[in-house]
Amino acid sequence: MTPQADSARVSFWTRLQAIDRRWIYLVLAAVVIVPLLFPFKIKPKATTPVQKLFNYIDTMPREKALVISIDYTPDTRAELQPMVVALLRHAFATRRPVGVLAMAVYGLGLGEEALSQVAAEFNAHATNHEDSIINGEDYVFWGWTTPPLTVMLGMGERITNVFPVDYYGARTESLPIMRDLRNYDDMGILVTVAASAMPRSWIVYAQVQFGVHLSCGITAVSAADFYPYVNSGQFTGMLAGMKGAAEYEELVTAKMNKEGLDWGLRNRGTEAMSSQTAAHLAIMAFIIIGNIGFFATRRRK
Amino acid sequence: MHIATDPWVWIAAILTLAIFSFLYRENPFYRIAEHLYVGIANGYAITFYWHRILVPSLFDPVARSPHFITKVWLIALAIIGALYFTRFIPKISWLVRIPIAILLGYGCGASIPRAVEAELLRQLQATIITRAHFAHWDTAAWAIIILIGVITTVSYFFFSAERKGALKPISYVGIVFIMVGFGASFGYTVMARISLFIGRLQFLLGDWLGLIR
Repeated sequence: MTPQADSARVSFWTRLQAIDRRWIYLVLAAVVIVPLLFPFKIKPKATTPVQKLFNYIDTMPREKALVISIDYTPDTRAELQPMVVALLRHAFATRRPVGVLAMAVYGLGLGEEALSQVAAEFNAHATNHEDSIINGEDYVFWGWTTPPLTVMLGMGERITNVFPVDYYGARTESLPIMRDLRNYDDMGILVTVAASAMPRSWIVYAQVQFGVHLSCGITAVSAADFYPYVNSGQFTGMLAGMKGAAEYEELVTAKMNKEGLDWGLRNRGTEAMSSQTAAHLAIMAFIIIGNIGFFATRRRK
Repeated sequence: MHIATDPWVWIAAILTLAIFSFLYRENPFYRIAEHLYVGIANGYAITFYWHRILVPSLFDPVARSPHFITKVWLIALAIIGALYFTRFIPKISWLVRIPIAILLGYGCGASIPRAVEAELLRQLQATIITRAHFAHWDTAAWAIIILIGVITTVSYFFFSAERKGALKPISYVGIVFIMVGFGASFGYTVMARISLFIGRLQFLLGDWLGLIR
């Protein structure tokens, strides 16, 4: 190669190294938007931790409750809300009692929204009282209180002492569902859906002292931190990020279809997977090009 | 295409675009949205703390409890809690140490024994290879890799001896495990940030503009 050609090549890489970051934002925006408008088919296959949680909830005794702790705030809604929706659909489809609480005060609205949405989905197809999903009978939304340490230890004794009134202001002792949902002993599993270190607190305070079965749905950022707890069996499975949510959605959809509940419900996690895949490919390309540019310019120096 | 008619959706969409405008450069729209967010978030939290904590757990019991001793306890605890605000009065700011000390004592007492069990003993237990691991080749392989990873990584953080002899190659393997851990964390972080971006675009393109279902 001639020196001129070599110089031109290096100057291309040098220019690439100094590219305005806004061009990268623009490319990423395009890469995400196009598959949202024209999605390609992706069917997420359940990984072992996701399958494990699904199997546990699916096979736990009918009278045992699924309890979901909303430990996240609206900024991580995109990743975590689809998990809560999928978990609620699974519990209602298999007619298990559900309790929901919020450890994050900003998560209250998200919990209420998920419960109202999924209850409405089921009630839209209900033909009688037995088919319906009713607040206080099939589910309870305890709401929020603080501090978490007191809540976690108190729920091991009596939930109604920790939450004397539910989110809607009703006395929890008067709710039919609370007759068989007194403390951790009546829970099949407690799933903490979190964007913080709260799952660790659940292990330390609720599991060590009371032996409650735990699992977690967490943001992808914290997934690597929580794998050791899955490996040790302290968490029964785990949902990590939007991909974990999409995998669980697929399992629940297959289950509901099998049960004759084929309602064509929207799965926000699964819908996002084509954009997610395209964005990952773009970022991998950026990393490879960036590294080539780095080494090319370094060699020149 | 079915554009939203709900004014709240429009407000959320405009605020989302205002925050995104920071990607181009700092501007007044971004500033307005940022300040609005901080103000609303604080107002929301204060309202909930007032209605869900102070009223049912302090004001109501003090006003209605038939037991005098209960009222005294609650008022005394409220005064201790209020000592946090003495930080703003330099002359008596030392009083803030009282509630901090109580909280630290309670927190440490409740946490330490349980944390040792949950974070140390159970994690150590998980590194022990048992006969059950050899039921399948993959579980056996993962158990061995985890054991090697734990030992070599811990040896990298062993600062009491100079890193030479057998410790040198062992700690080098530890670095490899640490780097793999960093790589996994970085990959997950990328996935998380993209997911959040997708979530907002689902809202803008779907709930607001009606371009997607």
